[in-house]
Amino acid sequence: MSVFASMLLGLSMGAIFGMALEKGRVCEGGVIVCQMQMSRHAMLKMFLSAVVTGLIVLSIMVGFGFAKLSPKATLFAADIVGGAILGVGIVIAGACPGTVLAQIGTGYKDAIFTFIGGLFGALLFTYLEPNILKPILTAGSYGKLTLDQLLGLPFPTVALTFAAAIIGFLIWLEKASPWEHEIGPDADGIPAESVALPAGVTGKA
Amino acid sequence: MLSLTSRAWSPYMAGIVVGLLQIPAFYFIGTALGTSSSYVTISANLASFVDPSIADIKYAANHMSGAKNWWQVALIAGIVLGAFISSRLSGTPRWGTSPLWVRAMGAHSPARRYAMAFLGGVIMVFGARIADGCTSGHGVSGIAQLAIGSFIAVTAMFGAGIIAANLIYKRV
Repeated sequence: MSVFASMLLGLSMGAIFGMALEKGRVCEGGVIVCQMQMSRHAMLKMFLSAVVTGLIVLSIMVGFGFAKLSPKATLFAADIVGGAILGVGIVIAGACPGTVLAQIGTGYKDAIFTFIGGLFGALLFTYLEPNILKPILTAGSYGKLTLDQLLGLPFPTVALTFAAAIIGFLIWLEKASPWEHEIGPDADGIPAESVALPAGVTGKA
Repeated sequence: MLSLTSRAWSPYMAGIVVGLLQIPAFYFIGTALGTSSSYVTISANLASFVDPSIADIKYAANHMSGAKNWWQVALIAGIVLGAFISSRLSGTPRWGTSPLWVRAMGAHSPARRYAMAFLGGVIMVFGARIADGCTSGHGVSGIAQLAIGSFIAVTAMFGAGIIAANLIYKRV
């Protein structure tokens, strides 16, 4: 596919992606920070729904030979260290590398700073990678390791079983904490009344 | 059910839409959904105006051209567009900063939040590049492919994120 055609496709897929991020309300820093404080779970619900759909879609595509999987290599040190740094960055920014763009689209001003910061973060990595980071990054390298390989079972078998388990968890989670409540009265993920108020204070004037 | 004028979809429907995007990604581009490597494509190409030798760094060169890299750049541009259209159609455009930040940090100047957002952006993408993926590449796509590295990266991401969110901020 030509660069131009792939960009047209990317732009249309991105527009759908952006709408889903906005409608799912993960474009809100409130949804992301409350998820990380483990008080509300709208982000986890959307995330796991995308995973379940991916597991099912890829099982079908792999089963019928329409797609070849491209899992990332397992790099223990890089996955743990990088994942942890990413998690802290997400909390400080109130966004993920993808959802920050949805924040920009909805109009949040600080998201522009997050995005520009992200470009500098990528540049910092690019300059440090060949000399300083590479030895750390390649420690504990196991190549393209996947759960189905480890278990010695076909991808669709493991993927669909795992998907069923996640669906079960989501049904339980939704019962415990309904999503309409979790996104808050202004759909920005923030509860109507702060739970952090000291005892005896109602939060009403 | 998926009305563009509604303020929110259930996170389940929104997640399903994202998951379905794996079909064109795998079928046409031969890759999974991801967003964080496009930061390298954009920043390395911009930096090459001031420092042409950046193209000699293999990591930069691998990200600077080609259909797959520019597909992802277009994808993130599309996210801005999609979220813009969606928020206007539902009448929930935002401006300034989220009330979240006053809840989480108390009163502060907008400049402080902007500086924090910038710093958060640097850390977030730096970490994502070390791990070779973010919430979409490792999270949504990696786990859907049952990649062990993605299980580890996502566990580390949520683990560190949960600790940080409870240490840094007041309970929202």
